[in-house]
Amino acid sequence: MSDHPTIKIIARFWPHALLAIVLVLPLFGDAIATKLTPIMVFAIVGLGLNVVAGFTGLLNLGAAAFMAIGAYTFAICTVPIYPFQIGFWPGLGVAIMVGAVAGTILALPAMRLRGDYLAIVTLGFGEIITDVLKNLDAITKGTQGLNPVAAPEIPFVTYSISAYKPTYYLYLALLLVAILLCHNMRKSRLGRQWIAVRDDELAARSMGISPARTKLIAFAIGSGLCAFGGAMFASLNGTSIEPSFYDFQQSVVILCIVIVGGMGNVKGVILGALIMVGFNSIILVNLTEWMTRNGWTGNNVLATPSNWKFMIFGLALILMMRLRPQGLIPAQDVEPVTQKPATAGATP
Amino acid sequence: MTTTELIIQLLITGLANGLIIALIALGYTMVYGIIELINFAHGDVMMLGCFLALTIVGLCGGEQLSPWIALPLLFLTVPFFTAGLNWSVEKLAYKPIREAPKLTALVSAIGVSFVFINIGMFWGGLPMDVFGGGGSAASAKSFPDLFGWSNLLGEQSAVLLTPRDVMVAAVTIPLMIGLTFFINRTRMGTAMRAVAQNPTAAKLMGIDVDRVIGLTFIIGGALAGVASVITALYTGSIHFQMGYRNGMDAFTAAVLGGIGNLPGAVLGALLIGLVRAVMEGYVPNGGQWSNTVVFALLILVLVFRPNGILGSRVREKV
Amino acid sequence: MTVLELDQVTLRFGGLTAVNNVSFRVEKGDIVAVIGPNGAGKTSLFNTITGIYPPTTGRVLINHAVVEQPATLQNKIQWTIIGVVTAIAVTLALNANAIWDAAINAHAITSPFPWGQAFNDACRVLTPSAWTIIPGLVGGFVGASGAWNAWRTARCSPDLVTRVGVARTFQNIRLFRELSARDNVLVGMEPKLHSRAWDGAFRLPPHFREQTEACAKADELLAFVNLGEVADVSAGSLPYGHQRRLEIARALASQPSLLLLDEPAAGMNPTESASLMLLIRKIRELGITVLLIEHDMKVVMGISDRIVVLHYGNKIAEGTPAEIRENPAVIEAYLGKEAG
Repeated sequence: MSDHPTIKIIARFWPHALLAIVLVLPLFGDAIATKLTPIMVFAIVGLGLNVVAGFTGLLNLGAAAFMAIGAYTFAICTVPIYPFQIGFWPGLGVAIMVGAVAGTILALPAMRLRGDYLAIVTLGFGEIITDVLKNLDAITKGTQGLNPVAAPEIPFVTYSISAYKPTYYLYLALLLVAILLCHNMRKSRLGRQWIAVRDDELAARSMGISPARTKLIAFAIGSGLCAFGGAMFASLNGTSIEPSFYDFQQSVVILCIVIVGGMGNVKGVILGALIMVGFNSIILVNLTEWMTRNGWTGNNVLATPSNWKFMIFGLALILMMRLRPQGLIPAQDVEPVTQKPATAGATP
Repeated sequence: MTTTELIIQLLITGLANGLIIALIALGYTMVYGIIELINFAHGDVMMLGCFLALTIVGLCGGEQLSPWIALPLLFLTVPFFTAGLNWSVEKLAYKPIREAPKLTALVSAIGVSFVFINIGMFWGGLPMDVFGGGGSAASAKSFPDLFGWSNLLGEQSAVLLTPRDVMVAAVTIPLMIGLTFFINRTRMGTAMRAVAQNPTAAKLMGIDVDRVIGLTFIIGGALAGVASVITALYTGSIHFQMGYRNGMDAFTAAVLGGIGNLPGAVLGALLIGLVRAVMEGYVPNGGQWSNTVVFALLILVLVFRPNGILGSRVREKV
Repeated sequence: MTVLELDQVTLRFGGLTAVNNVSFRVEKGDIVAVIGPNGAGKTSLFNTITGIYPPTTGRVLINHAVVEQPATLQNKIQWTIIGVVTAIAVTLALNANAIWDAAINAHAITSPFPWGQAFNDACRVLTPSAWTIIPGLVGGFVGASGAWNAWRTARCSPDLVTRVGVARTFQNIRLFRELSARDNVLVGMEPKLHSRAWDGAFRLPPHFREQTEACAKADELLAFVNLGEVADVSAGSLPYGHQRRLEIARALASQPSLLLLDEPAAGMNPTESASLMLLIRKIRELGITVLLIEHDMKVVMGISDRIVVLHYGNKIAEGTPAEIRENPAVIEAYLGKEAG
């Protein structure tokens, strides 16, 4: 980061400013809130992937699959066509658990694999999950998806389904909880184990850390978070959407959320989600709407901004890797995992 | 159809599919062997090759074009295009970040792949598409059928062997033999093996590492070009997402055989081709599960042999 | 008391014999040096002791016991359970559509839902057939053998060796570069830490109790190796000499009974290696046995109680520094035949 005082102030205080803005924004209208809520969901999914890919250094190319597992578990547990109908909060709980178990199952055979082999196994797992969801159409209703799933609700508070603000603040609160948990885990013994395994697996083993255990825990927690995000997404949309929504390209978008902000960095994930999802669901959509309104799109595929999505994502990734590979918030700016507790100085 | 005939039929389909996958897999595994990068864009280079082939055939008369003119024409243009494309990808996107951590290059490769997918979408969606499988960008385009479906074993035979099966074997097998010869016998091949083992040492021995890497991408791209022509002719349908599908199969094949290992890639590809043929031709409802089976097989193999079937165990230096 | 005993240890990589039939003992409180020309198999010996490469033949006894996870009855039960669970899971997964159709889709969603009926219908789908037995058998075999395979590879592993009180440093420094010096020491303390994942995630009291105590101990250790001022600096950005000492502090953090130092004085100037000798002596005074590999003969002769000499993987001599200095076989190995 530059030493210029303005940049320093921005770098120091943007999270606070962002929090203030998102707290106030819905007061200006539901339209903005509707657009911001998916960003929060993807930020949670990004946090989940960040535990695996950022903290533990295991490249996971199947994050969307865990999102799908969460979404479909939540949907099966809450849609009226099935007899479970357990409601929003128990549904979230079950989704997290199923996601964590699925992550552990994937990690079991993948524990011994290094780098690219692991990446390809997670990619394959993602393919298997979308295929299974597509093919088990007796359960998942195939490409129709399951709907209507349970809408978000706040315990002891009743509000009309059409009111958007309560959902917005609920999701914001859930995101803040997820951020806090990730932050705490990174600053604890677990976080040290993850980063030790990432930096030098063999040295970590020689320090008495079992890398297999460490990776399993990372996968369980990370996948649980991704599934949590998936369930929230399903609830927000009222449907599990369809299996092919959670394909490899979705996984890459989630990976980009983690990479753009800076791997292994909670603040970076939030920034990444804001940029990636914001671009995809706000800027591109609004630009297309605006151009259509002015009659500039016509029948030409080239004149539809959303058709340029992959091109823009792709070029952004290439340029990013070339100019700022460590992400917008590089790891060097991250404070030490364990800070000195105030009482420690007393007993030298 | 008797059991023997069924087995022969599955073998024909499986091997033809497997050989196509093998051509793409060789490109992956060669690049990985040299710079340890999963070149995600490789499958999409092949996809763009398919669209070029479609454009060329379309400009030259489409269905009426005789295969004896079309084949040489396509094989003289498409591989050059894909080789050049692959080479420029290396120069523009990978070379500047070669010293960076591996993940950086991998993400860059995914970026290139996205750009190509987008180009393919426009290519298929614009008036440039000569056959038009619908006006929208997302739909698949049909490739003109140049070979027909006549059975070379005679019309009464239960086993179907079409000219396109023969074409696949006639093109791919000599190419693979040639590639093996090139890698093992020529000076440039030796240089490639040297760079794969230890780039620094190879550089110190006076090998121009940049040139060798460039050449690897050219060869890989050319193989992908040949594969794109064959795939387009064999399956008769192309789509801007096909790069990912085919690339996926090929990459799985390369990993299955032990990435960086050329015979391993071919072995893995044939295995995947056969598994797919069995799933699609023999198991009821198998077609929709063939992806799942292929990836489950990959995971299974890697559990017991973490470096692939033919891959050698890598010891970490302590 | 013998802390470490090597009993006819041989380590082969393919056709190459890195360590050939080496036996020796290290007694508690000693400083023992392993010397030998480059490629003599010293680091391979260390890797065998610490469990990175299990010996091809022979045994490594630490405190009179081989460190290995035995295949207990509990393990065997675990493999069986994993196998059975995988078998059931695979069978259910392959028939999921049919089961769901029979159990859920076939019944109208009424309240209360006929759960018992649904369960019976689900069971009726799962009659023995090619679609239930074959996947079950395959799944069971894969699950059980996979679990066995995982156990087999983790049977002898460095983390187990560390947990019985052997710590080491590395020839080419292997610190966790992105962690601060203090965090590196805290990672070294792992075998002594017990807080759970959720303690840290939810900031429960055990986390704070342990954190405070561990940080105090880490700072103590950093001060012990004279790195007190750089506790918050990331390890990768420390100068070379500091990194060497940080590795020692990290190894000491697990409170080992035996410390293995792999070329601790490599790349140090005479002043630095003199202070290193002082440090090693201080470590011995803590009651820790030290086994070190070193090329710097001044260090070796200055601090060792005993010296083991390796040459081409064979032990050619063992004794006090004075004995080794006079040993003709050692002189020959280092200087060649003519000189002897």
